[in-house]
Amino acid sequence: MKKFWALFFFFWPTVAIYACLIAPSRGWWFPGPPMSRTGVQIDGLFYLILIIVTITFVGTQYALGYVLWKGATKEPGSKAVFSHGSHKLEIMWTIVPSFVLVFISLSQLDVLAEIRVISSFPKDAGKPATKVAEVMARQFEWRIRYPKPGTELTTEPSPEDLYYVNELHVPTGKPVVINLRTQDVQHAFFAPQLRVKQDAVPGLVIPVWFDIKEVGEYDLVCAELCGWGHFKMKARIVAQSQGSVDKYLKQLEAEQNEDGTKAESAEE
Amino acid sequence: MSRTPSLNLLVLAFLLSVAAVSGCSDSAFNTSFVYSAGTLDLMPEAQNGTKDIDGVKALLDKRFGDPQHLEAWLKMPVDFGGTMTTVGEMTTAENGIPVVKLDVEEGKSLPEKAGSIQFVSGACAGETVEISGWNAETGEATLAVVPSQSVASGDICFVDGGTVIQSGRVLYMRHCSHCHGTSGDGNGPTARYLTPKPRDYRNGVFKFTSTNDMSKAAREDVLRVVKYGIPGTYMPSFLLMTDEEHHAIVEYVRFLTLRGEFERKLVAELSSDYSKAALDSRLKDEKKADILKELNEFLADDLKESANSLGDELAEIWATSDSEGALVVPSITRIPDSSESRRRGRELYLSKALNCADCHGIDGAGNGPQTIAFEKNPTTSELYNEPGLHDVWDNLNQPRNLQLGMYRGGRRPIDLFRRIHAGIKGSRMPSFKNTPHEDIWNIVNYILSVPFETEPGGTGIAPSAAAAATVTAPPAN
Repeated sequence: MKKFWALFFFFWPTVAIYACLIAPSRGWWFPGPPMSRTGVQIDGLFYLILIIVTITFVGTQYALGYVLWKGATKEPGSKAVFSHGSHKLEIMWTIVPSFVLVFISLSQLDVLAEIRVISSFPKDAGKPATKVAEVMARQFEWRIRYPKPGTELTTEPSPEDLYYVNELHVPTGKPVVINLRTQDVQHAFFAPQLRVKQDAVPGLVIPVWFDIKEVGEYDLVCAELCGWGHFKMKARIVAQSQGSVDKYLKQLEAEQNEDGTKAESAEE
Repeated sequence: MSRTPSLNLLVLAFLLSVAAVSGCSDSAFNTSFVYSAGTLDLMPEAQNGTKDIDGVKALLDKRFGDPQHLEAWLKMPVDFGGTMTTVGEMTTAENGIPVVKLDVEEGKSLPEKAGSIQFVSGACAGETVEISGWNAETGEATLAVVPSQSVASGDICFVDGGTVIQSGRVLYMRHCSHCHGTSGDGNGPTARYLTPKPRDYRNGVFKFTSTNDMSKAAREDVLRVVKYGIPGTYMPSFLLMTDEEHHAIVEYVRFLTLRGEFERKLVAELSSDYSKAALDSRLKDEKKADILKELNEFLADDLKESANSLGDELAEIWATSDSEGALVVPSITRIPDSSESRRRGRELYLSKALNCADCHGIDGAGNGPQTIAFEKNPTTSELYNEPGLHDVWDNLNQPRNLQLGMYRGGRRPIDLFRRIHAGIKGSRMPSFKNTPHEDIWNIVNYILSVPFETEPGGTGIAPSAAAAATVTAPPAN
């Protein structure tokens, strides 16, 4: 009976490690390779921590199983060992983990700064990255506001801004910034394939940057429970060349100024 | 330590979980359409009819069905889906497998793939038969089972009939019904927490349309709302669905709207003489048995016939509303935005003739005198309990706060033009179709500038004497 429990506690961690090993080939892993510059760094950090934690996990589970097995196969009637603890062991297993944790926290500082600290945002050819749009999260959609082509995005709406919903067009190949806001409750701007995640907090305007490597369509989902529609609060990020983005914005401008007559609508 | 108690416990736990799950049969998920307040206000005999005579409920159910089994009333301007064909010939191969050859109308083509045939006329009317083999060029369908009755040449049938409306129903129940209700009555479980309330389709009124004030909503209008949502309300955007899904949802919403409208028309034929209130007052002079006899005659002879012509009326108005003739198209292109145009717009806004400030306020903040006056309910002629303006669903409406720059019906200049020209159907925003289009464009330019004024009324026009607070008569709709 005791041997059964020892084996039981040996078995499940082995299953867990096996599952992690076969996970990538079965698609139980990341949603695709990281498609942005930060994404690559974040995945690197993830693997670093995964390796450290796996080693720790294997070590501790083996120790647990070993102790259980030893106890299970003891001679019945043998005397117990009176141990007053081991001071050396206790020091070791306090100091080593604290070093490991400090190492982890220091090694991620630069990535964190790049993502969160505005002064550390990457520059785009020496100048600050362009603010391409304001993304206003709302129950249960994403409202996008672009500045008029050729002008800068203002924090509050300007008369000639262009509006759309649930589809964000950004240029590839350079870092771009969006202003993240919310109209009602907390939401979170989460682009899994880009490894970008930022909570949207009522009352705050939060700049979020990303640098998408390849042209394509990426998911944008809400990652902060915001109500009954949270599960379907999805949008599309369409990453195109700068020329295509410009063309799209021109078309959006034309549509937004439609006056219903067949002739070319009079521009302002 | 005896093993029996723990075994018993295990068996008990297993049985309990089986019992808990066994309640989840298919029928646990059945839903049903509700009947309108008007129908439920009729005397029970008018609602239910008798064994041989259809009452209002039966007349409605026969033409629209229930969510599990929708009926396609082909007269209605709804794309139910599928291709209409006639049976050319039915043969039986040696192994007993029936093959039907289908003829299609001139100019129409058969779909590449087909899954089922719905027989609409002939001995097999109402039957759906699965297709096991399909040849799109010759139109030959190998049936998976033998139809219960004989299929004659000339019988009308649909290939994959009803696919659009069925897919629309599934999508609607998943995405829309929790606010808009199973029957489109705007009273789903979520609705009680929402202001403004979700649309009740059953009046056939949609607020944000591109059509003139006498028409219903066009398909394009419902599609726009489904795709882009309504900012400032709880209606979200469903942009990420495919075009087919959008189409299916729009058709199902039209289906629910037509059902609601047909029900209203039936009730309108009966309510003056056979509602519960009318019955009570008639019982003072007449005998119940006489009233019942009159009702049954009316139901059996008159209403049965007029049901079809009521359907024709509905079909016509909804079909015309979808045509180009119903669209509001400005006769001139938009007057370019300029401070002159905005000043003119502001002048018109404050004028006595148009009286915009009466509801929308002197500075466009949506706080005009009408918002604190008590108005009369046009159907009951009684004052509403709370001050302010109401819509046709009896909900309190705030006139739009123009300073916010949030336009529910769309922010394009043409959208604002249409709101002014045709009004907002169902609400107290009247139609200004007799205002010259030049003037409307100037007002549009003014409205678009209101959110960016440095001070309220900043166009520099001194407000004329404010309109006196009046209880306005609601616009003829």
